[in-house]
Amino acid sequence: MSERVNNYRGSGIKNSGDNIAVDIKSVSKMYRIYHEKIPSLKNTILTRKRTTYEEFLALDNVSFAVNNGQTFGIIGPNGSGKSTLLKLMAKIFLPTCGEVIVNGSLSALLELGAGFHPDLTGRENIYINSAILGMRKREVDKRFDQIVRFSELEKFIDTPVKNYSSGMYMRLGFSIAINVNPDILLVDEVLAVGDQSFQAKCYKAIYDIMKRGKTIIIVSHDLETISDLCSRAAFLKEGKIVDLGNPIRVVSQYRAYVEELEKKRAEDQQREERKKIFKTVIESNIKVVDGEDIEKLSRLDSEQAIKRFGSGDAMVTDIRLLDENENKLDYCKYGDEVKIALDIKFNRKVEGPIFGIRITDIKDNIVYGTNTRTNNLKTEVYDKDESLRVEFAFKVTIIGGNYYVTPAVGYKDSKTYCDWVNNMLTINVLKNEKAEGIANLNSKITIEKIS
Amino acid sequence: MIANIRKLFSYRELIVSLTKKELKVKYRGSVLGFLWSLLNPILTMLVYSFVFSIVLRAGIKEFAIFLICALLPFNFLSNSVNYGAGSIIANSNLVNKIYFPREIIPLSIVFANFFNFLFELVALFIVLTVLGYKFYLFLYVLPVAIFIQFFLVVGMTLLVSAINVYFRDLQHLITIIMMVWFFGTPIIYPLEMVPERFQFIIKINPMTIYTAYYRNIFYYVKYPEGAGFPGIPETLIALGITLLVFFVGYFVFKKLEPRFAEEI
Repeated sequence: MSERVNNYRGSGIKNSGDNIAVDIKSVSKMYRIYHEKIPSLKNTILTRKRTTYEEFLALDNVSFAVNNGQTFGIIGPNGSGKSTLLKLMAKIFLPTCGEVIVNGSLSALLELGAGFHPDLTGRENIYINSAILGMRKREVDKRFDQIVRFSELEKFIDTPVKNYSSGMYMRLGFSIAINVNPDILLVDEVLAVGDQSFQAKCYKAIYDIMKRGKTIIIVSHDLETISDLCSRAAFLKEGKIVDLGNPIRVVSQYRAYVEELEKKRAEDQQREERKKIFKTVIESNIKVVDGEDIEKLSRLDSEQAIKRFGSGDAMVTDIRLLDENENKLDYCKYGDEVKIALDIKFNRKVEGPIFGIRITDIKDNIVYGTNTRTNNLKTEVYDKDESLRVEFAFKVTIIGGNYYVTPAVGYKDSKTYCDWVNNMLTINVLKNEKAEGIANLNSKITIEKIS
Repeated sequence: MIANIRKLFSYRELIVSLTKKELKVKYRGSVLGFLWSLLNPILTMLVYSFVFSIVLRAGIKEFAIFLICALLPFNFLSNSVNYGAGSIIANSNLVNKIYFPREIIPLSIVFANFFNFLFELVALFIVLTVLGYKFYLFLYVLPVAIFIQFFLVVGMTLLVSAINVYFRDLQHLITIIMMVWFFGTPIIYPLEMVPERFQFIIKINPMTIYTAYYRNIFYYVKYPEGAGFPGIPETLIALGITLLVFFVGYFVFKKLEPRFAEEI
């Protein structure tokens, strides 16, 4: 191991000729996952074999560097190797291969109050914890009041910490940790401490450390934090770096990934139930399903074989998204005037059918639904082999994302259906950075001084 | 190794801090506090004195003093090893979250027990003074004995604390080993009572030599120059074994240390 790696408690930044605080050089980390819970001497001797284990690659050839004074964010799903990466930087783990070079003193906030002893008082724990984090007693003496003041625990400082609430415990842990004053600070999901006002204080404290030109490396699931605080970020997935660079870009990449994942999860969840219901539908060979069943079935979309049901007296043969000039659209954006056009072909004579659409989001929330009956539009009698074009024109007032359109042709009793095609069309609405949610209420924001 | 000692020195405040913590936690909440640490050897002494002077009538003069001189240094060893064995696992929250040289954990256990031991010795001085022993005559040998024994204790504690991370049942085994070691050391009996053919085994045990030094200083109030036991050769063998244990303990610990965080 190089001398530089050992320089964790050096007083200043060791000059390595460049501006790099932490250098991760093609680092991989392999874990052993043991098949038995705890290996025992008894078993090893009696069975004369090493305990069996599987290997798990937590980090796969990861390389990047963090410059001095930079605030660097690491995001990624659970199990992507974020914490492993921090532990490698903190020297808690050693890399299986590759090299981790740290220039300057480093302090890791992987868990607040790690090492607090419940029977000792807040005061005693401040001294012990500070020593564990690498502070000298003299420095702690100097900063003691500051630590206590920050934690807002003046009254309880001579109480054993076992009597603290979990919030108080974390507050004390955070207050000690930010007073350590290292060159490089590693932070793992510890910013969500205490109540709102204390959280604000924590953020301010981190900001102050940033302003003092310290290097900070943050792991967080709070994407706002990453894009607000960081000057660079990495998106880690299954031990590999997916994206590295501008935090806004990296965060939006990660968001897209999470969205995709969530969609898949929701679909998986529904598939089972969906299968059950449709099995009964298919087995009982009911051609026309009544409204209540439709309601159930309609929530369970997307599997090819079960997408469609109804008597077949009329069929939706095509569905398109069009602009005002009848051009086909692949996507639209907020404010566009668009049309959803249905082509319908009749296979038998149908009297006064109802034409309708329903728009749902990826979580199957109904965003909008309408039909000719609720709009008091009279429909005629249509003969066999007659074809129709039905258009629903509207202005896009939904916020970005994927939406699905389900068209339907119902009989005039409004309970039974000629045709119902789940999620026949996918509409891609471009992201609008101004708002979140589904509906864009497009609020006007005004600011006015009242005193 | 020298680099590591320098590093440990830079962590000296943490060692002090954790040692204090060990002592504080041990005696927190008891009115008599530190005095409790005396209770254990005193009770042991009373029980053995009763058995050996009154029941078995072993005929050893001032059996209580005879016993305690050897019991205290042995307790220093056995307490350190027993507490040290589980220490890395007991501090898993630290090992998993914060970096510092891991040997600080077992070392702080050794130091805490060492202070206990010193405190017990002071108490022993007081008792001996009252009883009129001239223990101070050869007191200058004491620091040497303590210093050498210290290495044995550190080596053993490092060794078991590291191996115990990998084999959790070692902790139970340790209790038994320490009991065997206790009876294999002339503590409740004098070395001369051991039949000639077994003496060799008993003398190989470095604790036999160290307890003999303590006993020579306090109980017999003699310091054997040349003729008496332990002589130079025995002492050198004990010293060699001690250094061996120390280095094996140290290197095994250092070898296993990098993977502690993953194993616990």
